[in-house]
Amino acid sequence: MLEVEVRHVWAGFRLELSLNISREILVLFGRSGAGKTLTLRAVAGLFRPEAGHIVLGGRVLFDSKAGVNLPPQARRVGYVPQGYALFPHLSVFDNVAYGLRGKPEEVRRQVFELLDLVGLRELADRRPQQLSGGQQQRVALARALAVRPEVLLLDEPLSALDVPTRLELQGLIRDLQRQFGIPTLFVTHNLAEAMFLADRLAVVDRGRLLQVGPPKEVLNRPAQLEAAHLMGVRNIFHGRVSLVSEGGLRVRVGERDLLARPAATPAGLRPGDPVWVCVRAERIALVLPERLHRAADANLVLGEITREADYGLASVLYFRLTGPRLSPNRDYDLEVEVPAYVHERLRLDRVRTWTLAVDPEAVHLIPQAGAV
Amino acid sequence: MDWFPFVLSAQVATLATGLNLVAGVALGWALARGRFPGRDLLAALTTVPLVLPPTVLGYYLLVALGRTSPIGQALDALGVPLVFTWRGAVVASAVASFPLMVQSCRAAFEGVDPELEQVARTLGRSELEVFRTITLPLAGRGILAGTVLAFARALGDFGATLMVAGNIPGRTQTLAIAVYDTVQAGNLGLAGVLVAVLTAFSILSLLAIQRLGRRLAA
Repeated sequence: MLEVEVRHVWAGFRLELSLNISREILVLFGRSGAGKTLTLRAVAGLFRPEAGHIVLGGRVLFDSKAGVNLPPQARRVGYVPQGYALFPHLSVFDNVAYGLRGKPEEVRRQVFELLDLVGLRELADRRPQQLSGGQQQRVALARALAVRPEVLLLDEPLSALDVPTRLELQGLIRDLQRQFGIPTLFVTHNLAEAMFLADRLAVVDRGRLLQVGPPKEVLNRPAQLEAAHLMGVRNIFHGRVSLVSEGGLRVRVGERDLLARPAATPAGLRPGDPVWVCVRAERIALVLPERLHRAADANLVLGEITREADYGLASVLYFRLTGPRLSPNRDYDLEVEVPAYVHERLRLDRVRTWTLAVDPEAVHLIPQAGAV
Repeated sequence: MDWFPFVLSAQVATLATGLNLVAGVALGWALARGRFPGRDLLAALTTVPLVLPPTVLGYYLLVALGRTSPIGQALDALGVPLVFTWRGAVVASAVASFPLMVQSCRAAFEGVDPELEQVARTLGRSELEVFRTITLPLAGRGILAGTVLAFARALGDFGATLMVAGNIPGRTQTLAIAVYDTVQAGNLGLAGVLVAVLTAFSILSLLAIQRLGRRLAA
């Protein structure tokens, strides 16, 4: 549906990425300044890259070689910038009607149809300044949908909203996208939001596309070290493959060996190859002594909580292992995230020494490219 | 009492402000949104009349538009000479008040978020429509403020007008010049009346324009 390939270089920054979007929500995920907004603006025709091409539903919007660069007016994109950019001197009705043409009664009918979609019929006469942030976002969505765009471009649309409004609008955006079947590019740097909305997740860093795929896959199997960082993997070690067998791989990490049986083993790993060993902090389990026999299959390590960080809903525990270490140069080896109720139930404030189970399937390996 | 200077001043200031409004909006927009070489120089040049003594400004205009200059000769041939006519007064007061108009317009346009215009474009509206429905209304208050200032400045212009249009009673004698003339003639009483009327008129026109602005903004 939408095919994007853009290249642009200027002082200290290089944007170079290509994407294909069908009737889905593709989330562009990454830090601020990674080039996400610039990519959206290129599709909208508000920024002209040096090279590349952008094709929407068979129409060439931009092609540097052929010298094609359609103005924003001719692109049929629904663009919602950060901060919504509602027209402050126009009512909600006139904002939504801005891109519509035709007889007044026909425009009126369409505007109210759109306002019904976003649940704002009663506020048609208000000015944007009189609306809450969530309501403003709804107006911006209705206004963008009014022109029957062939792609929806949403630039961090929810980042300024309070949590309940944010969750509500995430649902609304997904419902609208399903209803219209419109290809949607959604920019965010919020991981939970990205996971909820994405049909596919594209991790962008410093102008480059690191990885694109189903969100769960990107979450559990980041393809590059930087993607692992961005996806919130807290335990990342330098390791070396020591054994490859039917039952999985044995990896040397620090002074220990870990068994890894990743769902998708990176092809061609051989003993001696350097890898990044990733274990998500939520996937490490604390094992009660009477249940030890059930975890016999896992990597079992003994450790002590040296410090912890309480995030309210969950805590991160910093474990220092007894015996051989994984990270001999730090004061802790593993970060383990536990929900608040588990922290309470297991009396972690008093019981500080635990056996940890690291499921071999939760050990993800990233080949270290170029390194020997 | 001779009402001619009142009528002439009102006409001259209105015409000058009308000219300035058109030119000021165009130039203010170009300075705010345009990216062209010499933009800063152009901005400086349009501000110069504000800092020059009005007589110096008048001198330049006299040289540029007088009977011996090409422009002056062309205007003569067309039958619309400027120097020592009421039209000269319009040009002189317009040039003297232009900086106030341009600067206000430029600031007003710079205050409009370009993102609003960009979104309007993605919604399919042409550049002209975007300007008319987004840029201009949002810059309206600032433009109106500039209009008020420029009108007041044009109404009160003395030096440049005197240099270019002269002091011909019944033909080019504006109110400000009539005040000077009357004081020179020792008629302080009449001068006081003129001054009072001019002051009242200025305040009233400022009030009227303010009220208009409030209605536009609502």
